[in-house]
Amino acid sequence: MRLPTLDLARPSRRHWLGYMLLAPAVLLMLAFVAYPLFVSLDISFQDVGIVRFDQPRKAFSTANYERLFASPDFWNAVIVTFKLVVVVTVSCFALGLGTALLVNNSFKGRPIARLLVALPWAIPEIIAVVIFAWLFDSSFGLINWILIKLNLIGSPVNWFSTPGAAFSAVATVMVWKGYPFVSIMALAGLQSIPDDFYNAAKVDGANAWQRFLYITIPSLMPILGVSMILTMLWVFRDFSIIYTLTGGGPLGSTETLSIMTYEQAFGFFRMGYASAVGIITLIICIVVSRLMLRRAPDNL
Amino acid sequence: MMTRRHIRRIALYAGVILTCAFLVFPIYWLFITALSPPDALRALPPRLWPESPRWEVFSEVLRERPILLWLKNSVLAALGAVALSMAVAIPAGYALSRFRLRGGESLGLVILTAKMLPATLLVIPLFVIFRQLGLIGSLWSVILAHATLIVPFSTWMLKGYFDTIPQELEQAAMVDGCSPVGAMIRVILPVAAPGLAATALYGFILSWADYAYARTFLTSAQSNWTLNLGITTMRGEYISNWASISAACVLATIPVLFIYLFLERYLVGGMTAGAEK
Repeated sequence: MRLPTLDLARPSRRHWLGYMLLAPAVLLMLAFVAYPLFVSLDISFQDVGIVRFDQPRKAFSTANYERLFASPDFWNAVIVTFKLVVVVTVSCFALGLGTALLVNNSFKGRPIARLLVALPWAIPEIIAVVIFAWLFDSSFGLINWILIKLNLIGSPVNWFSTPGAAFSAVATVMVWKGYPFVSIMALAGLQSIPDDFYNAAKVDGANAWQRFLYITIPSLMPILGVSMILTMLWVFRDFSIIYTLTGGGPLGSTETLSIMTYEQAFGFFRMGYASAVGIITLIICIVVSRLMLRRAPDNL
Repeated sequence: MMTRRHIRRIALYAGVILTCAFLVFPIYWLFITALSPPDALRALPPRLWPESPRWEVFSEVLRERPILLWLKNSVLAALGAVALSMAVAIPAGYALSRFRLRGGESLGLVILTAKMLPATLLVIPLFVIFRQLGLIGSLWSVILAHATLIVPFSTWMLKGYFDTIPQELEQAAMVDGCSPVGAMIRVILPVAAPGLAATALYGFILSWADYAYARTFLTSAQSNWTLNLGITTMRGEYISNWASISAACVLATIPVLFIYLFLERYLVGGMTAGAEK
């Protein structure tokens, strides 16, 4: 590209080139993220069903937010979302960290084991749902059969028509899909701890448990903090897994804020109300990650 | 005689094998379900390996459902989204790596914010905008939407790769008479090729996994359904044919499995994008 009036090779002009190279990416994000976000904020303050740009804008109103805070469905969705976030995040960490510590030992076939334990990350969420919908099948599913053989349940559980069971099914799929992220991150963290640390501690007479407690855990903290925020945000925002596995049911037991947003917008065509739910979700996400960031200011 | 060392080794191998088996089993079960004849699926106790695997299930499901069409649409959407993203992310990543730009240091914040945006919130205004533009039902709608997911990540990953390439390379090219943009295209991009490939494949996986956008923008246009959207319509009937659904899922999984094998060592870079300084 040659611009006759602007000699970009001149050092004093070089930063112009930088901005020009950056511009397409910024424009794309402005047009298809920032502007839509502004539109949805605008929609959330209108009492509107199906939004059309060729019709005049509705009057400003806070009706959506008032209705929202008075709605038991909304508060149910808030509780379900937080329950799911806690259950899935804690399980992903227990499983992911355990796996990482195990695979971090040296043994034959370690590269293959690394590859296998992180595999679910690559499986699309929709495929994961199909796999588990069949595993949780009430008549011929493997999970019911195993639970009966182990005498944990007396008769087959109908996983998708019982509220508590449906919640467990959703959480199981999300943990399976989400733990590889934690184990990949934790493994990367473990490998960045210098061996000298451990050797020095051995010389000082620290046993394996003390080395784990005073070297491994503190060294991993930054990367674990990041993984925790990202895992939580993922559960907060997930749509595909819950929507295709249970659709939010039965009786709203798996209806998170994301599902509620989508159902209101494209099931009942109340886009104003749905946008209000979405905006609240976004605010919660921002507040929660801000709070967590403040606890670990050096890491992010 | 068994020493403590031996016992530890054995416990370690047992632990690793058990963990792998447990975590990978669902994927194995998907393949087995696809290959099992109908009566074997209803047999209890379940069979871990079908006596006579039905390989013809793949040709059957390809005949019964327009899988190849869905596959083609998914590939087109992913290629389009990746091409568009790379076209804007390569110059952006390069600019952030080589120039001190005002606002450049806030890229991490932009990505973190992008990770907080619920797709279900963004999909509402995008639906309104795309309908105004006449894009609903067209693959362009998902291409644009996926690009907004891919661009922040890939800009970050690419900036990282460009940072590892010494500035002297393009300075030498510019001394030899290359323009700054020419130096980037002819000197830096070839050196960064592995990084470019990893970033593009990461974007491909992101696009391949999407369901929310395809479900919203493409449901009305059956000829443009992506594979994920098509597969969800195979369920939900009164009796699901698990063998053929699983076969379709296997076909949808194979491309990402191959990409994953190549991408595994680059994963951490993509995952941590925006979360580190």
